[in-house]
Amino acid sequence: MSDSIIEVKRLTKIYEDGNVLAVDDISFEIKRGEIFALLGPNGAGKTTTISLLSTLLFPTKGEAKVNSFDIQKDPDRVRKSIGVVFQEPSLDNEMKAYENLELHGVLYGMPKKQRREKIQEVLKLVGLEDKANVYVKNYSGGMKRRLEIARGLLHEPKILFLDEPTLGLDPQTRRKIWDKIKELNQGNLEITILITTHYMDEADELADRICIMDRGKIIALDTSENLKKQISGDIIDIEFEITEDRTKIPTIINKLKELSGIKNISLGSTQKNGEEIPLNFKLPPNVDPETMKARIRETMSDPKKLIAAWKKYPMASQMFMNASIEMKIRIANLFADDLIEQIPEEIKQEIIKIKKGEYKNNETTSTPIISISCENGGKSLPLIIQKINDNNLIVKSVHMHQPKLEDVFLHFVGSAIREESSDRVKSIKNMIQMKQLRR
Amino acid sequence: MIKTNNLNSKFAIVNYAAIWILAKRELYEFFRSKTRLITSIAQGLLFLLIFSSGFAFININIGGVAIDSRAFVASGIAAIIILFNGIFGGMSILRDKMFGFMKELIVAPVSRRTLMTGKTLGLTLQTLIHVEILLGLSTVMGFFGYDISLILRMILIIPVAFLASLGIVGMGLTISTRLKDFQSFGIIQTFIVMPMFWFSGALFAFNNVPFFMQVIIMCNPFSYSVDLFRAVLLGVSFFPIWLDLTVMTLFGILFILLGARSFNRMEVS
Repeated sequence: MSDSIIEVKRLTKIYEDGNVLAVDDISFEIKRGEIFALLGPNGAGKTTTISLLSTLLFPTKGEAKVNSFDIQKDPDRVRKSIGVVFQEPSLDNEMKAYENLELHGVLYGMPKKQRREKIQEVLKLVGLEDKANVYVKNYSGGMKRRLEIARGLLHEPKILFLDEPTLGLDPQTRRKIWDKIKELNQGNLEITILITTHYMDEADELADRICIMDRGKIIALDTSENLKKQISGDIIDIEFEITEDRTKIPTIINKLKELSGIKNISLGSTQKNGEEIPLNFKLPPNVDPETMKARIRETMSDPKKLIAAWKKYPMASQMFMNASIEMKIRIANLFADDLIEQIPEEIKQEIIKIKKGEYKNNETTSTPIISISCENGGKSLPLIIQKINDNNLIVKSVHMHQPKLEDVFLHFVGSAIREESSDRVKSIKNMIQMKQLRR
Repeated sequence: MIKTNNLNSKFAIVNYAAIWILAKRELYEFFRSKTRLITSIAQGLLFLLIFSSGFAFININIGGVAIDSRAFVASGIAAIIILFNGIFGGMSILRDKMFGFMKELIVAPVSRRTLMTGKTLGLTLQTLIHVEILLGLSTVMGFFGYDISLILRMILIIPVAFLASLGIVGMGLTISTRLKDFQSFGIIQTFIVMPMFWFSGALFAFNNVPFFMQVIIMCNPFSYSVDLFRAVLLGVSFFPIWLDLTVMTLFGILFILLGARSFNRMEVS
């Protein structure tokens, strides 16, 4: 017996009435006992994949085996092996919770005694045992979700399909459902779970392996750790000051690419709120960024505290130098002439310049920003800054961080244009025509 | 057309336990929804009172036998209940589809034939109960007179009502599996239910209407159910009983098959 519980081979699904290629030649395997996440934006084909695997839809091409039964040749055995929790609620609101479960048990051919025991068991599992005789219409969204999970487990399936299980739920309920999912997978039930989601944190939290889908195709499949490693090293976001020289940025990018250890550079721009305090330094591990921000904000309202901070922490003075012009002007205005003498030299010069009106408040708040992924941020950063300084560009802020799953996701899916190219539409139409001709 | 599974499934045998629980679900719905129960009874009563008093002065004479117009109308309305209940009941499929419950049914390892049979049985039983309630009320009000043979007639009406409702429920299923939203419901109401109601001869005697109406009534398959109802309840009918039975059976088989076909092809996404 192979250790794969689900095998998908070149599965394709075309919705003919809409000329939509929903699932495009995907192949993957799910191992017994793992949590497997299908991650992707809306319309990526995740739900279609689940519908195909749960035999709700027939594939246009390709094949798949669930619990070693073919989804086309043996749909009933497949159905008995799986529990499905759909994206939209699928409970009968006019029946009690118990009756919903009972109907499910009968449909799955469970004998009466076993059914009764199992219903109590799954209700207890999701913490609804005292709500069994309440009409489902009186349930909250989270309770309904839990009841649906209970129902999906009632017939002791080997595999549980969860289609966006926490969509639209509050954070606490989400957490509870996550815990339940982990419990099901790790406890003595050892259920293999296929989950679809478009929440990065959900996939990161739950899944052993993540399959990133976009436009019906698999674009990456690995463990969360390995996916992050694929854009390994560090991400450095550099924000530039808006100057006339900023047209040089594309040239800079090309020059930076020549440095060793640089993998990828992308250019974007941010629209930053003037009030936002950039934490452009690495926080000590146990400090909450929000408290830090609050403390900085407090310091910034009192000129005497500011001077003390500048003298004590080099980081604080660096922050001032990197701050946006709007913020600098605001801070400069706090200081009366007699206080200026007490300010450390470097900052004093800057403030005097501002007071003389050398900086003009630039109208645009959008600043160019480049995102560099490199192997070793600590090594590359000085070189990068050096290069930038050589080209007379002013760096406004630098932010270095470990890649998050979100970065991985964006790396693969990209913020690329979503429109279908005409070639693609043509090829889909061709495929459909071919299919019709063959009939 | 993309064909969904199940017809070609090896397990496409009928699962009786599943049929019964699905039928029970329909019955629960009828008895639990108090508004629905009260509305349907009140509506029946209203029809009985209005039409029987409104038509009281009309002389109805079938084949030389004078008929009490109240009994005439009551038996017609009992038949009409089958039409209304059957088609609206069929709409419960649409509701299940809209509220997602249909997915739960379809992904279950039972054949669609089982699902369809369960649903049809539930709706038919619901209709039978409703018909008996209305006939009971009419009897209490003395519309049918007080006659010992009435008990026999009330029992005999059950298989007749069952046969009549099969075709109608099948029609409801055929329509509602194809509908995608509730808006289309008004169209069904106006173009199918109402004509079948008015041109069934439930409210007026076939021999009292002009020829063109007679033709339309004869084209309406439901007229024969109404006619058989009268044959059983009042002992008089416009058409021969064998014709009533033949039309009802053919109509029933046709629409149950059509309903099953649409049910098998239904895609739920």
